[in-house]
Amino acid sequence: MLETPILPAELTIYTAGEVHPLWRAWLTETDHADAPHECRIDAAAVDQIDGAGLQLLISLANSLAARQRTLRLVDASALLVNACQTLGLTALLEVTPCEEVCA
Amino acid sequence: MNQQDSDNSFIAEALPAFISEAREQIEQLEQLLLQLEDDPDDRDLLDALFRCAHTVKGSAGIFGLDKVVAFTHHVETLLDRLREGHLSLNPEISTLLLQSNDQIGKLVAAAQDPQEDSAADLQARAELVERLRVASGDIAVVGTVSAPQASAEAVVAGGARAWHVSVCFGADTYRNGMDPLAIVHYVSGLGAISHISCDFESVPSLDALDPESCHLTLAFELQTAARREEIEAAFSFVRDDCVLHIVEPDASPADIVALIEAMPDFPRLGDILIDAGAISRAQLAQALQIQSAALAPEAPAARLGEILQTTSAVSPKVVEAALQKQQKQREGAAAAPDDNRFIRVQADRLDAVINLLGELVIAGAGASLLARQSRQGSLIEANAQISRLIEEIRNGTLQLRMVPIGETFSRFRRVVRDTAAELGKDVALEIVGGDTELDKSVVERIADPLMHLVRNALDHGLEPPQQRIDAGKPAQGKLTLSACHESGSILIRILDDGRGIQRDKVLQRAWDRGLVEQGVTPPEADILKLIFEPGFSTAEKVTNLSGRGVGMDVVRRNIEALRGSVNIESVPGEGSRIEIRLPLTLAIIDGFLIGVGASKFIFPLDAVVEVIENRPTSGELDAHGRSVVELRGQVLPVVSLRDLYSLESGEPERSSVVVIRSGGRRFGVMVDALLGQHQTVIKPLGRMFRSLRGMSGSSILGNGEVALIFDVHSLSQLAERPPSLTHTPRHLGKTSASASLSQESQPS
Repeated sequence: MLETPILPAELTIYTAGEVHPLWRAWLTETDHADAPHECRIDAAAVDQIDGAGLQLLISLANSLAARQRTLRLVDASALLVNACQTLGLTALLEVTPCEEVCA
Repeated sequence: MNQQDSDNSFIAEALPAFISEAREQIEQLEQLLLQLEDDPDDRDLLDALFRCAHTVKGSAGIFGLDKVVAFTHHVETLLDRLREGHLSLNPEISTLLLQSNDQIGKLVAAAQDPQEDSAADLQARAELVERLRVASGDIAVVGTVSAPQASAEAVVAGGARAWHVSVCFGADTYRNGMDPLAIVHYVSGLGAISHISCDFESVPSLDALDPESCHLTLAFELQTAARREEIEAAFSFVRDDCVLHIVEPDASPADIVALIEAMPDFPRLGDILIDAGAISRAQLAQALQIQSAALAPEAPAARLGEILQTTSAVSPKVVEAALQKQQKQREGAAAAPDDNRFIRVQADRLDAVINLLGELVIAGAGASLLARQSRQGSLIEANAQISRLIEEIRNGTLQLRMVPIGETFSRFRRVVRDTAAELGKDVALEIVGGDTELDKSVVERIADPLMHLVRNALDHGLEPPQQRIDAGKPAQGKLTLSACHESGSILIRILDDGRGIQRDKVLQRAWDRGLVEQGVTPPEADILKLIFEPGFSTAEKVTNLSGRGVGMDVVRRNIEALRGSVNIESVPGEGSRIEIRLPLTLAIIDGFLIGVGASKFIFPLDAVVEVIENRPTSGELDAHGRSVVELRGQVLPVVSLRDLYSLESGEPERSSVVVIRSGGRRFGVMVDALLGQHQTVIKPLGRMFRSLRGMSGSSILGNGEVALIFDVHSLSQLAERPPSLTHTPRHLGKTSASASLSQESQPS
């Protein structure tokens, strides 16, 4: 169903309640042995994000980590990159900015 | 468009809540300001003040109430100056802040109907703003909108220091409309944020996640010249339910130890130390490597804490604190959070429950009665159990409506302050028993009469300082508001040490106004009561505070409408004392049911002291049915209900005397039958029976009979009336009372 997962345009407290069950379902569906180790999600569409949305991403990353998988946000929109940098979540992004390396 | 509509409907729904909350904040502001006057250097008070103003400003911003935001901003600026210690609170600033607070109140009140200000409003506001800015020493800086971004660069340049900030947001952060992302953005306006880390472990996995609860925990370093308060202020909207730690740049290890002790949910030692700023991430990585290297050959696992001590010179104390904390977390001693929170409930829902409860009490009493008649032990037992439960529910429910009267009292601080200043008097207000609780509806309706009495005391009672000194009293007058419980009612006293009431002036005025027949002198105790008569005013000069003569009779009417009574005592030259007695609640009381002939009556149980068997009285009953009995060596006045209300029925074989306490006195009431304790739902008597003296209401008994409830205080007054004064009216009253009684007590 969600072969190539894509982040929705709005990832905020207003949509968290809807997105959450979808992601859980997706996680269960793809929870098999030959699932790719690195889970790449297209994050280009995100144009609204808040703390609740980022928290949901962290939660997804945690769930994947529990299954020995990692979350990579691919092609993240500038807004999302900015938000991740603000809250110190650059590890989720595909291109790790220089800042993180230095730290 | 749709978004806009939903926004608008959200605002329409939430606005009343905002207004009621803002009102609370404004009231609190006022109280804090008044407290601050007594203790101008109290840092906590200043902080609380600032937070209140900031909250009002912030939430007004959410609702787009620009006028409130713009005005409150100036107040905030002045408060900030006070907090920084550039200014200290003096009476002028205090008055200015109080007036500004009133202005905020007005603006908030006007939020619901957004009409244009009148020119006068605008001018008044502009004037206040001008004064606020002059007071803040801010006049040169035009339009200081708080823009940390704008000043950030300058700030970093000027002696920026690196603060360690860690914050664990409360679960309700999103639900309260706050966004950690926005808050961090705001903080970044204060200076440069670096090394921000978000604790992934504090966020549960998808399966366990409540997406609308906030689990975010952040730690970062903030390079800024801003002060601690400014950093804290950035978190002020989430301050109440988040755990925030701000560590000084040059914090000693002890501070960091304290920080680790206090941090709630950091699961890993390394993170704890990084977040506390004791070590850097690189240092941790290095230490972890050493740890895993040590683990590999099955060597006794070196403890991370020890490694850290050796590699990065973290002081042993710091590591120990972190280890202890980690240990505690492992023990999982996560006690349930203290849910000492409040729920807002609409008053009418509560009233609906109380009404239903009233019906339940009546139905329960009916069931008990039927059970007793059936003489089935187990049924009686079961009913007794139900009655007990109903009583508990009743007490619990009524408790919900109880509020301390202190809030109403403290509103008078401001009144006293302003009124005294206006009249050139020096008055100290003392509040006693502010935590005495009574029914919310009573509290609400007593505020206006109290206000009038307080103003009266200020205006007429207390003298100007010079007069007081001449009279040998301290220059500062004293006004005391006190409240306490007394035999099932609440007693509110207003005491002043002013000039007292001159009886001859009162009497002269009463003669002039035709309230008392010219030349007739009523008994001493009744003269003062004349001031509660309609159309009475003793003020030689009518001021705009009191003394229009419309007040005191309205005061008495309002109090009597609450089934209360008001009494006044005064000693010329020494002061006056006004006592207001009010029922605790308007809905349900514990009653003591008695019978006289076929009629049933109820006394409030709290007023009943004891019951004795009637014994031969020392004399015959007088025309009012009054007499005395001897009780344990003392004389107890008694009154016979049969004679007082002319109840027509034969004398019973034996009768009892119920000893009642009213005010400071006791008296007995002769009754035929004692029918025991009874939960009583008070039903008002209705307009027709308003003239009925000594009664406060009626109640329907379980079997459908109606019983009248005595108002103990007015019953005692009724029984006290001297025969000479009331001879003719008593006769009239007698017939009307018995007529209404026979109507009331015979169920159709």
